[in-house]
Amino acid sequence: MKRQIPLILCFLFGVVMLLTQFSPHSLSQGIYEEVLNWARIITPFALVFSTITLLQTHITRIRRQTEHWQYSFLVFGGIAIMVVVGIPFGPQNPVFEWLFNNVQLPMDATMFSLLAFFIASAAYRAFRARNLEASLLLITAVIVMLGNVPVGDLIWNKLISLTPWADTYANGSSLMKQWILDNPNLSARRGIILGVSLGVISQSIRIILGIERSYLGGGD
Amino acid sequence: MELFGIWIAAFLTLCIYSFLYKDNPFYRFAEYLFVGMTVGYGIVLSYHQGFIPFAWEPFMDVFTGESLFGLIKLIPIGIGLLFFSGLSSRHTWLIRFPSAILIGVGCGLAIPNVLRANIFEQTRGTIEPFAAINAGTLSGMEIFSAILMVIGVICTLTYFFFSVEHRGPVKWVSKIGIAFLMIGFGSAFGNTVMGRVALLIQRVDFLINDWLGSFVALF
Repeated sequence: MKRQIPLILCFLFGVVMLLTQFSPHSLSQGIYEEVLNWARIITPFALVFSTITLLQTHITRIRRQTEHWQYSFLVFGGIAIMVVVGIPFGPQNPVFEWLFNNVQLPMDATMFSLLAFFIASAAYRAFRARNLEASLLLITAVIVMLGNVPVGDLIWNKLISLTPWADTYANGSSLMKQWILDNPNLSARRGIILGVSLGVISQSIRIILGIERSYLGGGD
Repeated sequence: MELFGIWIAAFLTLCIYSFLYKDNPFYRFAEYLFVGMTVGYGIVLSYHQGFIPFAWEPFMDVFTGESLFGLIKLIPIGIGLLFFSGLSSRHTWLIRFPSAILIGVGCGLAIPNVLRANIFEQTRGTIEPFAAINAGTLSGMEIFSAILMVIGVICTLTYFFFSVEHRGPVKWVSKIGIAFLMIGFGSAFGNTVMGRVALLIQRVDFLINDWLGSFVALF
């Protein structure tokens, strides 16, 4: 029962969602919308549960006084302040918006911009033209990076002005970037997308049919 | 209040950038606070955009006499509450019920959507230009690009096709596939770098213009 009922539920909900998408009948569309709404209702509970496990982890850190345990209070504080302001007054509340715009958003943007430095050091290691494949990676990345900024076209136009084709091939840096993105890059991406999609479909069928059961976890 | 917000944002920005020197208490302060606030923000959004409109409001309609249909919302609420069985080691297996439903719904949604958007549309996009070639409306460069697209897709797929051994002609086709993949990864890398640099420029611009500019307002 502990494993069979979840397998049956997964099968039923999977098949219902699958079949209702192929029928334009109002009853079918009604069932589709209702099941989708059920998923939307269940998902916040999963988020709250995962937050509780996060809090448990930090409570354990504080209790055992592991390294940097004092900072765990900041996690509690961060969650508490957003929840206390956001839950009763809603996300449109001015205080909640102020917290989002002046605390969370700047930290989010800064965290991601920090990667600019680390990605530069990673590029130094990865972009050594040791063979044909690495050289292709290097050349493409340089063209795309230069094509993304005005200085790329500036350099290109300066160089091309030394040749008789200055008018024909102006702004070649950004044009070359766009051609790479629209053609060889897109063909590689399409190959990956097609492969991944076939994998997603086969894995979904396996899960619905109960062949793939790893999501049930261990135990009886 | 606006000035206070700028100073708070600038302090936290500098706290995070201090990591470029080395791991330090200021960075850890911002890091842990960021984790907490992001989780809190996620809870607030999922409560107001998920639970309230799809569960609470239809359920309240039952009491206002508008519709009895809201009673059915007690079922997903009950199923959702089963997630908390994970807190008890004896009843943790009950967590499989809501998980199985969410996974089943996800799989049922994925099959037709992936088939339509990722397989049919991408295949159509790859071979569609050939209709224009036939009509004679494409330039020489566009014809070359269309042929290159088909070659690229076939070679990339061949590289990921492991049912045959990569020997002889298959090996060469898959090698061309690797070349296309490298161009794809190079483009992705280039775009990612530029995206991150744009964010860095935006943060530096904030520090120089907004934060340092606020000194003028202060003094």
